[in-house]
Amino acid sequence: MRRPWLIVLVVVWALLPWVLGRHHVDLLVFAAIYTIAGLGVGLLLGHCGIVTLAQSVFYAMGAYASAIITVNLKLPASLGFVVGMIASGVIALALGWPVLRLTGFFLAVATLALAMIANALFFEWDWLTGGTVGIGAIPKLGLFGFVLDTPLTFYYFAWVVAAIAMLLVHNLVAGRTGLAMRGMRDSLDAARVLAIDVHGLRVTIFVVCAVLGGVSGSLFAHYTGYVSVASFTIDKAILFLLIPVLGGAASIPGVVVGALFITFVPELLSKLGDFHGIVFGLALIVVVIAAPHGIVGTIRQWRKRALDESTATPGEANK
Amino acid sequence: MARRWMGTPARALAVSAVCALFTTTLFTHTPSHAQQATGEPIKIGAILAITGPGAGLGVPTRNGVLLAEKAVNAAGGVRGRPIKVIIEDDASNPDNARTKANALVHNEKVVGLIGPSQVAQIVAAGAITDPLKLPHIVPAGLSVPVERDRKCVYHVLPPQDLNARALMEYAANAMKIKRVGVLHDSGYGNVVMGALKAISSSYPGIEFVAIEKFEIGATDVTTQAAKVRASNPEAVMVIATSGTPFRAVKQVRIEVPVIAAIGSSSYEYVKAMGESADNVIIPEFLVGEDPLPDQKAFVEMYRKEYNLTPKNFEAAGWDLVQFMVAALKATPADAKPAEICEWLRRPHKGVLADYDFRDADLTGMKLTSFVYSKLIKGQYTRLPFRVSK
Repeated sequence: MRRPWLIVLVVVWALLPWVLGRHHVDLLVFAAIYTIAGLGVGLLLGHCGIVTLAQSVFYAMGAYASAIITVNLKLPASLGFVVGMIASGVIALALGWPVLRLTGFFLAVATLALAMIANALFFEWDWLTGGTVGIGAIPKLGLFGFVLDTPLTFYYFAWVVAAIAMLLVHNLVAGRTGLAMRGMRDSLDAARVLAIDVHGLRVTIFVVCAVLGGVSGSLFAHYTGYVSVASFTIDKAILFLLIPVLGGAASIPGVVVGALFITFVPELLSKLGDFHGIVFGLALIVVVIAAPHGIVGTIRQWRKRALDESTATPGEANK
Repeated sequence: MARRWMGTPARALAVSAVCALFTTTLFTHTPSHAQQATGEPIKIGAILAITGPGAGLGVPTRNGVLLAEKAVNAAGGVRGRPIKVIIEDDASNPDNARTKANALVHNEKVVGLIGPSQVAQIVAAGAITDPLKLPHIVPAGLSVPVERDRKCVYHVLPPQDLNARALMEYAANAMKIKRVGVLHDSGYGNVVMGALKAISSSYPGIEFVAIEKFEIGATDVTTQAAKVRASNPEAVMVIATSGTPFRAVKQVRIEVPVIAAIGSSSYEYVKAMGESADNVIIPEFLVGEDPLPDQKAFVEMYRKEYNLTPKNFEAAGWDLVQFMVAALKATPADAKPAEICEWLRRPHKGVLADYDFRDADLTGMKLTSFVYSKLIKGQYTRLPFRVSK
């Protein structure tokens, strides 16, 4: 077996909800949902060098699609997922085509503007979205006649979906497309010289990111049974960006770590009372300063440095 | 290479976000009141909006809850055991409300839940308590259809159609006006506005000449206020949980009377209104400066504890705890949540009003319970008008 740690990880994952309390399992479900959305942001940030603050838009579209299809139209939940993914992808294509000609801060600001406009529309179109009051009584997901109506059952489902998303993202970044993405990230001019369709590739990855956001939003809607515009504010857009930034943008495990961080740390700190927000803010500052490549990225750097030092010959080490 | 791309926009944005979060929290947090519990306390969960746009509701409710907790424990608690109200802040966010409800119900094993303070948050937390039939009482009125199906989520403030009627009664019968402009927020205000439209046929003499909506947490609504002014109304109804629309009314020089819904009656919002609070008329339940006879004891106790005058949400917080405690006292120690919930389904006499939780609106409040007051120099003055039937 080439990767025994993977078996250990799967066993721990399978046993974890039986050891933890229901509340922590609930948080792990949110971590899975945020992992899927964060993977998209990580793809753009870590492999394409694109900062997006628009993931909350696609997350909301997935959630609203599921809510409207199942509650208002009384259609199957699977259709809600499909519509959410298609709608997110189509909107990402339409918006991404012009916007992704920008780079750097300008692109970040443009995606922030998209998030703000979308939030205003979700709020104004309350005939469709329910506005601040939202849409309630979204049915629980069913799978082969089995209803996912507890955090425990949803935990397994959400993390399996997250694992599939991770596998797909891994295949994407490990192949030729991943090479092209990283080439584009490190030097746009060099990528163009190598005949990489830079704009087309950026838009494609933006669409992939949006589809992941849509899936994540649909899961959120069915898990909580309720969606409101308050769940899709700019705060959520920043949260999705923080996931890869904190965990490590270019690393899939980093995204998982980032999602766990933003799910668990505020909750653990909430025991500190009214000051928990301040302490969480300080914790974020410490992590961003101490681990500039994200938690996983920084650990990998330390490990690499330690390996380099241990493999260096004494003569080289003295140079 | 990698260092270059990671070093600029993402980190800068992350640091900015963190700083914004830090600053927001610093300026919105409020002092907590530590409680001492002895023995084996009976845990009651409470989720309130202590920070965020709903803090004007959550903070006064928390004061009422803590005062009630203290009074109950001073009076011997429940079957000799003290009660412990575990208060969590949902930061005015429904996702947080849901997470906190899960933690209180499943980790802390609370016997009942109080709050949250706002519509969306109540619906989110109700999704946790409803399947368990856990007794759940909220400091808000029934607002959306899904709440009618949740038979263990009781309410101690009027349902929104009753709030709407209280506003219309004053406009139609006390002021006898015909043209009304409305400025409302997107949550509570939106629901009350829907109720106003639904009951408007009962008040055929009144026409809504302008209806302007703004987002909860908006800091400037002068554009909407200007549109209301342009419609030349005889009175403006403000339905919000914020001081912002009142300031906007003043800024655009709307001189006609302002009638506000109960959601903006807390002193936190009155402070936020500043000078624009003057002459605002509110249909409500407790005028702390001039309480009804059976409210006097609570007002005195509250003043003694906090050196402040209580309003509706403080009294609601008190009533929430008292009703929950009454249910715990009346049911066996090993009663199932559904039994406690079932016991609550009866008439209750509160400081704020008389209730009947058997009613379909899970409140049972009457239009005749409303009193009307006017703000003069930051103080409430009770008006003689009451709804007669």
